[in-house]
Amino acid sequence: MTAGRNPTEASLPSDLDIRITRSFDAPRATVFDAWTKPEQVAEWWDPSRRPLARCEIDLRPGGAFRFEHQKNSDGSAHVFAGEYREITRPSRLVFATPSPSGGASIGTLQFEEDHGGTMLVMTITCASKADRDALLRMRVDAGTIRSLENLNAFLARPT
Amino acid sequence: MTIYSDTALSLTFAALADPTRRAILAKLARGEADVSELAKPFGLSQPTISKHLKVLEGAGLVARGRDAQRRPRTLVAKPLRDVDQWLETYRQLWEDRFANLDDYLATHPASKTAAKSSRRPRRGRAK
Repeated sequence: MTAGRNPTEASLPSDLDIRITRSFDAPRATVFDAWTKPEQVAEWWDPSRRPLARCEIDLRPGGAFRFEHQKNSDGSAHVFAGEYREITRPSRLVFATPSPSGGASIGTLQFEEDHGGTMLVMTITCASKADRDALLRMRVDAGTIRSLENLNAFLARPT
Repeated sequence: MTIYSDTALSLTFAALADPTRRAILAKLARGEADVSELAKPFGLSQPTISKHLKVLEGAGLVARGRDAQRRPRTLVAKPLRDVDQWLETYRQLWEDRFANLDDYLATHPASKTAAKSSRRPRRGRAK
């Protein structure tokens, strides 16, 4: 199913950063709009392909956003929320989200012109290395292999 | 700095996707065990257990112990705790998300042509 997709690359350029790089076969303004118009974000944000239950975007510096996923089978609903810091259509979008330690993580999206398409460079800068590792770890626990969480807990038990 | 696009790390996750293999790891977490000791609680044949062990060894999650006669297996827990492994999961999250975005962009030509003035956006398209 993913054959022919552009590759998604992930790297850790520093102790505080996570970088994700991906190109798209669409102009920058189109990709930028897909990130900033609620009716568009709602269509693609959930990795499991379910439309978001709610998507609210106040697109201005200091404005809030809230992406609310549909409920899981246990009744919980994952929410991604924060506030915008910089909005420069179609080249740059910066937002802040709460960090595990109580500080803020800064997400910086650069939309670069790439042969008529768009190269997206997304950098998440965390307040500390512990925050960054916690963020990555959280994804492992919440992601497609939830069972790994149970195993990790089991392995961490004193024997 | 490390970069992953399609790496051996996904081997670990493939290895962990199977409930029997996770159960094998859970048993090994309590101490080393040989193939027959592993086969018993699962009611599986030794060749089946060996096949699962091969996958786990390939992913670096299980190693062979010192006793050449019994050939016990031991757990290698480190890969489970590596930040690199966490990054791979994070990458996969975004890969899935961006595959959706590709499809969204491809099925919404009106927004796609917005930047090209020559083509008129198609209207009245059923959603």
